[in-house]
Amino acid sequence: MKLRHTMVATTVALLALSGCSSPSTSSEGGKTTLTYQYFNNQPAAIAATKALVDDWNKANPDVQVNLVQAPADNLQDKLTTQFSGGVAPDIIQTISPSDILPFAGNLADLSKLLPAETVNDIDAGAKDALTVDGKLIATPTEQQTYVVFANKKLLEQDGVQMPTGDTMTWDTFQKLAKDTTKGGVHGLTWGLKSPTSAFAYLGTGFGAKYFTGEGNDAKAVFGDDELQVPERVQSMIKSGYVDPTGVTQSSSDVLATFYGGKAAMTVAGSYQIANIDSEVPAGFEWTVLPALEGSQSASQLAAPITLSVNAKSKNVKGAAEFVNFYMKADNLAKINLADGQVPPTKSGLDALSKLTNGKNGWAQIIASGKNLVNPSFNSLKKYNSWKTTIATPGYQQYLAGQISSDQLSKQMVDGWTGINH
Amino acid sequence: MPLELKARSEATVPKPTARSRKQSALARRQRNEAVVLAVPALIPVIILSVVPLLIGVSLAFTDSQLISESAPGFVGVDNFARLLRNGAFWNAFGIGAIWSVSVTALQLVCGLALALLLNTDLRFRGVTRLLAIIPWAMPPVVVAIMWQMIYSPTNGPLNWFITSLGGPRINWLGDFSLALPAVILVGVWAGMPQNTISYLAGLQQVPVELLEAARVDGAGAWSRFVHVTLPALKPTIISIVSLSFIWNFNSFGIIYVLTAGGPGGKTLLPMLFVYIEAFRNGNTGMAAAMTDVIVVFLVIVLSAFLLRNFRKGVQA
Amino acid sequence: MRNQPVLIRTLQYVFLAGFLLFLGFPFLWLISTAFKSPAELNSLAVNLVPLQPTLDNFTAAFEAQGLVRAAWNSVFVSVVTTVIVVIISVPGAYVLARYRGKIRAMGSGWVLVSQIVPVALFILPLFFILRMVGLVDSLGGVIAVYVVYTLPFSLWMLQGYVAAIPVDVEEAGATDGATKLQVLTRIVFPLLQPGLIATAIFTFVAAYNEFFFALVLLQSPENFTLSVSLSTFSNGEGLSEIGPLAAGALIASIPSVIFFAILQRRLTGGLLAGAVKG
Repeated sequence: MKLRHTMVATTVALLALSGCSSPSTSSEGGKTTLTYQYFNNQPAAIAATKALVDDWNKANPDVQVNLVQAPADNLQDKLTTQFSGGVAPDIIQTISPSDILPFAGNLADLSKLLPAETVNDIDAGAKDALTVDGKLIATPTEQQTYVVFANKKLLEQDGVQMPTGDTMTWDTFQKLAKDTTKGGVHGLTWGLKSPTSAFAYLGTGFGAKYFTGEGNDAKAVFGDDELQVPERVQSMIKSGYVDPTGVTQSSSDVLATFYGGKAAMTVAGSYQIANIDSEVPAGFEWTVLPALEGSQSASQLAAPITLSVNAKSKNVKGAAEFVNFYMKADNLAKINLADGQVPPTKSGLDALSKLTNGKNGWAQIIASGKNLVNPSFNSLKKYNSWKTTIATPGYQQYLAGQISSDQLSKQMVDGWTGINH
Repeated sequence: MPLELKARSEATVPKPTARSRKQSALARRQRNEAVVLAVPALIPVIILSVVPLLIGVSLAFTDSQLISESAPGFVGVDNFARLLRNGAFWNAFGIGAIWSVSVTALQLVCGLALALLLNTDLRFRGVTRLLAIIPWAMPPVVVAIMWQMIYSPTNGPLNWFITSLGGPRINWLGDFSLALPAVILVGVWAGMPQNTISYLAGLQQVPVELLEAARVDGAGAWSRFVHVTLPALKPTIISIVSLSFIWNFNSFGIIYVLTAGGPGGKTLLPMLFVYIEAFRNGNTGMAAAMTDVIVVFLVIVLSAFLLRNFRKGVQA
Repeated sequence: MRNQPVLIRTLQYVFLAGFLLFLGFPFLWLISTAFKSPAELNSLAVNLVPLQPTLDNFTAAFEAQGLVRAAWNSVFVSVVTTVIVVIISVPGAYVLARYRGKIRAMGSGWVLVSQIVPVALFILPLFFILRMVGLVDSLGGVIAVYVVYTLPFSLWMLQGYVAAIPVDVEEAGATDGATKLQVLTRIVFPLLQPGLIATAIFTFVAAYNEFFFALVLLQSPENFTLSVSLSTFSNGEGLSEIGPLAAGALIASIPSVIFFAILQRRLTGGLLAGAVKG
């Protein structure tokens, strides 16, 4: 008897505890509240996102959007846990196609939900990357590139030739780093704590592919083209042109060194322009150098930030309408301006060019965002596992001088074989 | 600590062996009483601890995936066979072993030393005792955030101190050879309180008469420590060392926030490895196999350690 | 011979100072960082005492990071866990301390096992079980897990205190055929009070500081506990907000530090000794 009572009591207690849980979607009398989970942690981009959501909420009293933030570093763990726990948000932003691809089966087909004009406006390469089994699982919203920020005074003081034009070759860049290294100042500080993305973007100019084939048959390739960027960076580190401490830090961590005049240049994702713009000490003059050009082109990767709709959302249609609102040229331009990136739609790009007319550094960033190449690994489900468990540690070991180029190549290729089954 | 409590309290536990002839009836009544009293604790424990434990162990023999529509299938020892060839896991295992042995040993030495200091009549004992407890009270996440600031290569106080002595600027948590020692120091800091306080409590139970007798016999401070204090402390040391070793081997929060296993996997502890396998790669079956291996390892190490000390105790 | 004590004394103080620095400085630095302005935090200069102390970081932490909500969640989860654990521990501990037999053996076995098994082994099945009853991403699920997770320690601590109560006292009170429950509530419970306070504080702090389960189980920011909330701001590119992070971290450690300061005398004065000797 007693036992049964306790069992009943425990069940009641568990049910009461269930009452504490709050479903991500709630609807009362025709009004829905959707959850939009974004990862952005740049203050300006957060403000722009909030403004956009506010605009939407004012115009759409029946479909309210509730903005929640997810940590950028652990986005993949987060999404995996959310989808498997059945608590994934309605609208989901991810850092790149490879972050959202593993969840393709749980996402709504946007090619059917968005108006044709919105779908047709999207850059073809990015659209390909985000189409799985004929389903458009996400729309691209922002495209970053890697650019070189420079301390104008330090460059001019050294009497070096300030590079002009649309592009700058790696040789020019390396010479610049050499010439500006003197008197306790390093030519370059580069936060390479997570080097895989930066190397993949910039390696594209040298024709680096990293992978051939598709799905389970995909093979990793790591030859001369893929080694170009890491080898050039390592040689600059060995020659003492790069601040050695910064190599193991994040690109934000090294900005203090850059602002402090201890390094003439820093390579970072274009998104840092927003931080630099707001944080630089008074009197600090900076510029963005022309896009880095490899042996083949100045192309970088198409690996855009994406927006998806959870197929299990209680209001898939409403969520898709929000995505459509987000994709409007003016909205996209505002978000990209705040986040230092380039819209992967024709209309968005035009709107951004107008918005940034004459702003320091923006002409170069928009130029660097042209001729983007859709990499094959965008469609590899295991790419992210490879990136975090094989590539990043491998590059870190290589840059620290612990392994040779050959060992790096071997680790990269063998590591992929071990993961992709 | 629970182990120790158990050991000590054993003596005081009354023995409800029935003295009367109604032995069996009384025993039955007592058993029923015990069951009724234990039930409130038993039910949640069974649902949320025993059952998960059994499921957890058996998951290792399946191809369970975190995101999957279909039920996991039985794959025998496949996961273990693949685990044997997984160099990265064994690497993490090795790092876990270095980490737990170093942290546990340093905690023992530092904790015991501090406890000895606190057991004297020195000034500032009160303040030190309070400070010695703070790390225990702080959430591991806060501990990690705090040490990130101490280790900051750009404007951390540690680098400021070293560069002002003419040394180089060091990225403690980013350097391949320094990252593990650096996080070990944080592990020691975080575990100091449990050790210090337990040893202090142990020291206060060392019979004063014995120490007096040794002093009368002309034994020096060191000799008194080795021949009187240490043997008296031995049970405490054994249980604290065992527990610390387990806790350290299974620690997660500090490293997750401090380095996330970096640089280049140099601080990737086993638990972090398991977490990544389960909640990033979604291979829950494989992750369960990893935890099974960890449990077996811990049980073996612990039994070996305890048996060895137990045997010694018997011989002495 | 006279010189030696002086030398030893000096050495003792040197070591004590070393420990003071090692244990205290990081905390001091956290406090200092929490009061520094963004300009000072972005500069390469290093000062222990902030040049221009500011409370901005605290305002920023409270406003921007949803920290107030997280703090409330942490306190709510820890208090509910503590209450449940104390209520079910008392009879459980009584059984462990007073009865011999299978239950006691099984209980001891489970306490030992729960100490050895990595929480990672529990988390996978727990995640599946809680998913079945819809308790993933809810404070209720976390409370349920915390109750079970803190129970072993709490049981062992309390059974030490129960064992310290002489059986005679209990038998003397248990006249006139009082039931076991009456004995428990009238005699054992009042005598257990010091032990209950210590157990409650330990449980509270363990639940309040817990990170791993919360990280996996809580997915929406409105459900985050302080540890999870702070961890999302501590790593990642683009974090130039060291100040608010330090402020948040400082606020987060206040409850536990205060509790432990209260408990301190009991801890050293003989948490263990007291529990056993009575």
